[in-house]
Amino acid sequence: MARIRLESVGKRYPNGFVALEELSLEIADREFVVLLGPSGCGKSTTLNLIAGLEDVTAGSLYFDSTLMNVVPAHKRDVAMVFQSYALYPHKSVYENIAFGLRMRGHPRAEIESRVKDAARSLEIEPLLERRPHQLSGGQRQRVALGRALVRQPAAFLMDEPLSNLDAALRIAMRAEIKKLHHTMRTTFVYVTHDQAEALTLADRIVVMREGVIQQIGSPEEIYDRPRNTFVASFLGNPPINYLEGTLAADGARFVRGGLSLALPPELSKKIGAENGRQVRLGIRAEDVDPRGTGETLQGRISSVLPVGSDQFLGVEVEGTTLFFRVGRELRAAEGENVALSVNMNRAQIFDSSSGASLLWK
Amino acid sequence: MKGLGRNVLLFTASALFLVYVLAPVAWLVSSSVQQEAEITSRPPHWIPRQPTLENFEAIFQAKEKKVTYETRRAGDPATGGYIPSTARDLVPSMWNSLIVAVSVVVLNLLVAVPAAYAMAKIRYIGRSTSIYFMLTTRVIPDIALVVPFFLFIRTFGLLDHLGSLVITYLAITIPFSVFILVGYFESLPDELDKAARVDGCSRLQTLLRVYVPLAMPSLVAVVLFTFLTSWNEFLLALMFTQTPASQTMPIVVASFASDFTISFSFINAAGVLAVVPPVLMAVVFERYIVSGLTAGAVKG
Ligand SMILES: Nc1ncnc2c1ncn2[C@@H]1O[C@H](COP(=O)(O)OP(=O)(O)OP(=O)(O)O)[C@@H](O)[C@H]1O
Ligand SMILES: [Mg+2]
Repeated sequence: MARIRLESVGKRYPNGFVALEELSLEIADREFVVLLGPSGCGKSTTLNLIAGLEDVTAGSLYFDSTLMNVVPAHKRDVAMVFQSYALYPHKSVYENIAFGLRMRGHPRAEIESRVKDAARSLEIEPLLERRPHQLSGGQRQRVALGRALVRQPAAFLMDEPLSNLDAALRIAMRAEIKKLHHTMRTTFVYVTHDQAEALTLADRIVVMREGVIQQIGSPEEIYDRPRNTFVASFLGNPPINYLEGTLAADGARFVRGGLSLALPPELSKKIGAENGRQVRLGIRAEDVDPRGTGETLQGRISSVLPVGSDQFLGVEVEGTTLFFRVGRELRAAEGENVALSVNMNRAQIFDSSSGASLLWK
Repeated sequence: MKGLGRNVLLFTASALFLVYVLAPVAWLVSSSVQQEAEITSRPPHWIPRQPTLENFEAIFQAKEKKVTYETRRAGDPATGGYIPSTARDLVPSMWNSLIVAVSVVVLNLLVAVPAAYAMAKIRYIGRSTSIYFMLTTRVIPDIALVVPFFLFIRTFGLLDHLGSLVITYLAITIPFSVFILVGYFESLPDELDKAARVDGCSRLQTLLRVYVPLAMPSLVAVVLFTFLTSWNEFLLALMFTQTPASQTMPIVVASFASDFTISFSFINAAGVLAVVPPVLMAVVFERYIVSGLTAGAVKG
């Protein structure tokens, strides 16, 4: 029901701190957009601006084509789930969920049926008479979700709703939220600093850093074609590996000391032929194969960390340690030498000094 | 054994403290049901030999009596003592005290609660300055404020009018009330405020529907504080009130002690009456002073 458009939006807090500068973003109706970034990058601030809980200090915010800058929060049709659930401690679970409907003057019978429906879908029906302090963390989280979803708002804003749950519950709730998005058919803006959450939930991910958008794109695009080293590093587990080196053979080879890797033609075409240019080669941890052929990295294994299905290998290559994820069938021991073939089609090349990707033109 | 010694010590200390605090009250209550002769007996009787309610009856009958130098010795048949010349002002002065105290409590809440909410939850320029400024007004001793207050009250023609007391008591109590409430509101998570507004509350509705119910313990503290301050205040009341039309209880009771002759039985009975309303308030509100009301608002 609502398209949300931020045009060069800025936020300067009263203490003079500029949390956002020139943020432009258009969120389509019914889209699931995830704001992703490290702590303090302005994710909650952006959400608060959309909800009307903080004033926009520069630029314009539109819902569809209505300018929202000065519309107070209670007149915007959005629901929000807060980082700390912010349940009303003096109200029962039922009253917590019903409050938003009451304030908007819905008839009593309708409120009751909607609260019951929401409680049923979140499996908190037996808890309706309890007070928030009598609930577990996961239950509180569900109540917070319930409070938002009874409203059937034009947009859902969620600020790290899963950050305090244990790993298993978090994954289960992720699926719930995804399902919710399908059934509610409304716009979702979801804040997290958990890359896995972003990758599973998002239609589009907005990666932010210090109040500036780094990249907007689908999860695949963000993962496969990062615009800079910040985005590349933020996603992936273990994080992407970097090798500093130079371009050679008219952009067809990457050279570092004794290591020389051939770049696929599409890649080198994008980079342009600039011999001797300082670049940073990015190789994702999973983009190596111990049995493959083609371009190979030789190195000495410095650490072996089994992680259930896989194992992480620390490999010393040309003076730096790279971390790779390989299958468990590779019998590796510390101190041994290993040869890993690199899937160069997935390699990233960044400018050494600016960190910008050379694959984006 | 060490634990036992410690307990004995703590018990003794608290018992001593209780005696220290309660003995004067006990004597007040005990002597209010004694006759003048028994009060002045030595050693004092902590337990009255012949308890009597006649002192209290004298107070309520004093309304009709006019006491002069000549008639004072006629005294009161009940107490056998003297009744002060201002005795009949006592009951009206209790009403005055009550009217002033209740007005101050109500007006104080009307001003202090929204002010504290704004200072705690709305970021505006000069926010912290205004809090400190307000508090510094309370660093000035009341005696220094008497003259400016007096001029102010006279200019507005409020001398010898209950309004003068209501206005000045508000000036005294509001800063502290706001201070107490700001502290409490600030301790409530900002996200509660935000949640309420997203749920469709205006600022005022947020205050009334979320903050006020949660702040009950602090509000009770504020109500008790303002009530007691107004009920007990002496200095300003002495300056601004001149006739029984506006005199409050402390002024009238104090005047008993500066009479021709002092009637202890009468003063003590008046003292007991003075204690009743605050005690009743404390009893009524005690059940609202519950802690842990905010538990469960946030993760954790
Ligand atoms: N009221 C405020 N006054 C001044 N600065 C603020 C205020 N609120 C937030 N900031 C600052 O703005 C920046 C962005 O804050 P924000 O809460 O949006 O971060 P975030 O991305 O949500 O981080 P997190 O993941 O830790 O929740 C931070 O540097 C923070 O210190
Ligand atoms: Mg945040």
